[in-house]
Amino acid sequence: MNSIKEKLKKFDVKSLTLYIGAVLILIIFTVICSINGKDFLTTSNIQNIISQSAVIAVIGIGASLVIITGGIDLSVGSVVGFVGIFAGVLVKAGVPLFATLLICLAVGALVGAINGALVSYGKVPAFIVTLGTMQIVRGLTKVLTDGRPIAGFPESLAKITQTEILGIPVVILYVFALYALVMFTLKKTKFGRRIYAIGGNPNAAKLSGIKVQKIETLTYVIAGIFSVIGGIILLSRLSYADPNAGSSYELDAIAATVIGGIAMSGGKGKIGNTLVGALILGMLKCGLQILNVAVYYQTIITGLVIIVAVYLDKAKERKAE
Amino acid sequence: MKKLVAVLMSLTLIFGGVLAGCSKNKDKDDNAKNPSKGDDSKIVVGFIPMTLNNEFFITMVNGAKEKAEELGIELKVQAGDQHASAADQLTIVENMITSGVDAICIVPSSSEGLAAALKKCKEANVPVINIDTKLEDSVLKEAGVEVPFYGTNNYEGAKAIGEYVAKNFAKGTKTAVLTGIAGQQNAADRKNGFIKGAGDSIKIVAEQSANWEVDQGYAATQNILTANPDIELVYCGNDGMAIGALRAVKEAKKEKQVKVIGFDGVTEALNLVENGEMFATCAQFPAEMGKLGVENAVKLVKGEKAEKNIDTGAKLITKDNAKEHKEYLSKYAG
Repeated sequence: MNSIKEKLKKFDVKSLTLYIGAVLILIIFTVICSINGKDFLTTSNIQNIISQSAVIAVIGIGASLVIITGGIDLSVGSVVGFVGIFAGVLVKAGVPLFATLLICLAVGALVGAINGALVSYGKVPAFIVTLGTMQIVRGLTKVLTDGRPIAGFPESLAKITQTEILGIPVVILYVFALYALVMFTLKKTKFGRRIYAIGGNPNAAKLSGIKVQKIETLTYVIAGIFSVIGGIILLSRLSYADPNAGSSYELDAIAATVIGGIAMSGGKGKIGNTLVGALILGMLKCGLQILNVAVYYQTIITGLVIIVAVYLDKAKERKAE
Repeated sequence: MKKLVAVLMSLTLIFGGVLAGCSKNKDKDDNAKNPSKGDDSKIVVGFIPMTLNNEFFITMVNGAKEKAEELGIELKVQAGDQHASAADQLTIVENMITSGVDAICIVPSSSEGLAAALKKCKEANVPVINIDTKLEDSVLKEAGVEVPFYGTNNYEGAKAIGEYVAKNFAKGTKTAVLTGIAGQQNAADRKNGFIKGAGDSIKIVAEQSANWEVDQGYAATQNILTANPDIELVYCGNDGMAIGALRAVKEAKKEKQVKVIGFDGVTEALNLVENGEMFATCAQFPAEMGKLGVENAVKLVKGEKAEKNIDTGAKLITKDNAKEHKEYLSKYAG
């Protein structure tokens, strides 16, 4: 009996606070909006929120994986910007759209591989490596077009995200499908379990025969690929490539990750919660804009929510001490 | 667990408090303007400046607010929290449509980046007015909309500065040019207009983009002075970069040799022109843009015709008229 009770208690504190928080924010906005005569909880607005959060949610997958191994990837936002311009250059040069997207994915994987190799084989701290590649990739983006944006993409590009299936914008389905894939991989495959093992205790992982360097590098490659997917989603949403696009997205992705309860120290956390984190950020932005809260207060509130979310998440650790 | 509940509660309170505070204020405003009527019949205009981080856009918003109050309509102002980005502006437009605005006035983050947002407005039947930075015709065509534009004719303003330079400087004056963000029409117009107006009185020895920013204007000018110690004129596409450039010139103790010219007419630049540190600037009329935007947005909502294009004018500011313009501007400060 007691043990069940204990379990229940643990379960409550550990995994429900985030969802309670998310629902609470949803309810608060719904109530305040309806007091002001606005709709918040409607199908079309929920679809809007998820579409608006899609880019951060997707690059958040990569950011989370890297953070679970105990690293960090600051270059994801720059990759998002690079993808837009690079794809634009290729499309304008007559490369078919599908091939363009494949090339972009390969380039993202390459950036990830460079990050990963320098971190795991070169032993350069992840923060520093990716701080460097963040700048390099952003610079390369501007070199490609002399800092100019690119407009006039084919209609097929916009269709990638703006088609609807059964009334649901397809971009929402992508987000859920990608999360389902990654959640499955982390839970059910050796690779997934090893990522956690590396983040939890790299030395123990090494002693137990895990090829730490290979797995670590691979995680950065995956992060690069997901950044590219995020970049493609953004490009398709705007049909416009801005060399400054994606600036500070790395911070939003990290915010989604930590709101979701993944520990910056590595080895702990559920990747699915990163999606909840991204949606919380999206809800805040959308709700505060609908309520016409001045932009300065929006940033303050977002900051508070990040801190409170992590504070709540640490409740159990504090209790243990 | 108790602690947890406490924190959750306080989160709710902070959150609810801030929001309730905002909505209460708004209610109060509404009541003051419109004592007996409900919200339903009131026209709501969304206003999206590029950012709210500089005086130019704040002045514009204050002009818009004044007009909104005069017409008894509600004005919603939203801007991206960081530098201008097309992604942020699309999100803001979507959320404004959700919140039920009747029309939108927007300063685009770039001349070409808003096709997706314009399409959403068209679908939702929300008329759009383009302010300050002109949208490319190709974008309007792509979105299938016609959008009125109210703003400065940057080319003409810059040309006036160029002509003033031609009058006051000798032929072949060694000149450095600091431009705004590459790809923005404003940036190109302000450069080309100046070059056209100045004609052969200038010889451009250095050109850099400082992205409209003070710090980048400062750094770029330091480097330009190192490479070309004999320049005599720095022309900047906005006052922010000019303020940065002036600081670099002063640090190099070359303020006698190098004259700095800006564009926009923000207060700090007017002060500098008034006391002779900056040579000249070109004032725009952002408050007028805001007013015209709101006024014509309301016309469109009511089904009336709006003015198609209006040049809100540009005025050369020198030591002689800086003070006068400052007085005009102070009406819209803060």
